Amino acid sequence: MYNSHNPYRPIETAVLEVNTETPTIKTLKLKPKEPLEFETGQFIELTVPGVGEAPFTPSSKPLIKDTIEVSVMRVGKVTERIHELKKGETVGLRGPFGTGYPMDDFKGREVLVVGGGCGFAPLRSLMYEFFEHSGEFKSLFFRGGCKTPKDFLYKKEIEGWSQRDDLDVRLTVDEGDGEWKGNVGVVTTILDGIPMNHAEGIAIVCGPPVMMKFAIKKLQELGFKDTNLYLSMEKNMSCGLGKCGHCRIGTYYACKDGPVFRYDKIKSFPNIWD
Amino acid sequence: MAAYLISRDGLFDLLTRVTDSYSVFVPVRRGEKRFFTKFEPSSSPEESSKEMENGRYVIGEVRTFEPLKIFYLRSRGIVADGFEDTVTRAEQKPYCIVGAKACDIKGFKVQDRVFRDDEYKDPFYIREREENLIISADCASVIDTCYCLALHVNPYPEESFDINLSEMSAGFVAESGSEKGKRLINENASLFQEAKAEHIAERDEQRKRIAGEVKKNIKANDIPDQDRLKGVIEKNFNAPIWKEEAETCVECGACNMICPTCHCFLMYDQMDAQRMARLRVWDSCMIKDFAQVAGGANPRDHLWMRLRNRFEKKFDYFPKIGDIYACTGCGRCISACPAKIDIRRILKRLVENV
Repeated sequence: MYNSHNPYRPIETAVLEVNTETPTIKTLKLKPKEPLEFETGQFIELTVPGVGEAPFTPSSKPLIKDTIEVSVMRVGKVTERIHELKKGETVGLRGPFGTGYPMDDFKGREVLVVGGGCGFAPLRSLMYEFFEHSGEFKSLFFRGGCKTPKDFLYKKEIEGWSQRDDLDVRLTVDEGDGEWKGNVGVVTTILDGIPMNHAEGIAIVCGPPVMMKFAIKKLQELGFKDTNLYLSMEKNMSCGLGKCGHCRIGTYYACKDGPVFRYDKIKSFPNIWD
Repeated sequence: MAAYLISRDGLFDLLTRVTDSYSVFVPVRRGEKRFFTKFEPSSSPEESSKEMENGRYVIGEVRTFEPLKIFYLRSRGIVADGFEDTVTRAEQKPYCIVGAKACDIKGFKVQDRVFRDDEYKDPFYIREREENLIISADCASVIDTCYCLALHVNPYPEESFDINLSEMSAGFVAESGSEKGKRLINENASLFQEAKAEHIAERDEQRKRIAGEVKKNIKANDIPDQDRLKGVIEKNFNAPIWKEEAETCVECGACNMICPTCHCFLMYDQMDAQRMARLRVWDSCMIKDFAQVAGGANPRDHLWMRLRNRFEKKFDYFPKIGDIYACTGCGRCISACPAKIDIRRILKRLVENV
């Protein structure tokens, strides 16, 4: 829970494991000194002491309460340093912040999860939730895309998902290599023909803004209602409390009212994809 | 509400007594501007009293150069000390701010909403709000950038003060606005006498005169009343106004720093051999990387988008979420802007272009 005494203070946290996922993404297993329970889709702020902090959505099971996993893409000053972290080092955690996926609203429904690139990180946590409550959803589909086969996060694990009988998985890459046998093309090319009632189904999209923009457009064309579309907005979230002002989207703050938004709530705001 | 009269010497005594429990700040005039300065009574009471008399302290007059928010959200302050749960406070005594004006007091409406009355609380701000003492004052003069009445702010405080002073020939008419203020008057009853009808009349006359001068300002600059601002941002979202007005902007951020309602901040960490400190500094939405994400994407890549965003926040976001225009008519951003970007002109253009 967020620290009401001093919400800016990070909790001392040990780095338990560092695993290289792709050339630009590493997954860290972290153990905070105080319990930090999150709901899937909520995010945390990870502090590298003396360097700064950056927001990440945990990719681990919300049910596991003593450790937390985050997958970090190397893109800036803080993530550069996170990639240098070794087992045993001390970092800080704040959070969880924001509004995650409304799992109860998905019960009894057909659900399509669409992921792109580093968007797989929050979605892995979400998929664990779906698997945990497998019987409560009518059907579950996962469609994921990456730039090239070597950019897939949790590759082994996702291959395992395709063995599950409660999930229908299909993957694509923008650009194949010698070994890739699956679809080649952006993620919107594998959204046709999913055996679900589009008008009633839920679609959850997480990935880079440009991917979400086109995925939403495609899903609308397929008949999904705006009130059934969920996305994760990538904004400059810093304080996590709706105060520092950096991540405003219209009348909301991504850090507080999001990062997960139902599309109809934000679609009227100008330039949401920029 | 009971009104009292306190003489200039009496106020000086009161402030001197208050320094036991508060760090007292009083506006002092330097050139054409007024600045909050620490009140340090000289050892000789007679000499000090003269300082009050000869106009070093300007309780009435008009708003200070700095916004009142400097006492509530330091421009640079520590918000976390390593992994410790508490932060040692730099200033041991709370602040007593004397001579705060109505435009600055309106700033609280915005700051309170963000830092105190929101679902998530800011403990540092709340502590300042609870512990500080505000001895506000009516405006006794007007400068040409004043337009508070256009934002429905009267040039005299009506709320959020502990004691309010109205400067006049015989000293000050004083009224309490809180339990804390009432207590302070009661505990120092010998310094106060009951205000007579003539004092009240003089105060009311002055309030009327000052309001008249602000109205003249508003008329001379053709500044729209806030009743005409509803929806103007949405309607002008794609108007050429933003590009035209941003042309001279040098991205200094002075308009944000000086604004009583701007609340955005940046956090950064500092570390020496042993400890980490997290600092909070005021931030400016006019600076290029304000909304930029680590990957480099920037929703407001152009300066004109950031100028539009500043107006959107004040005249669209806050009215929508809190039914308040986040402008107090203090005019500080007009004086602070080296590029002569004038909020009065922009508001006028927005209203005319619907």
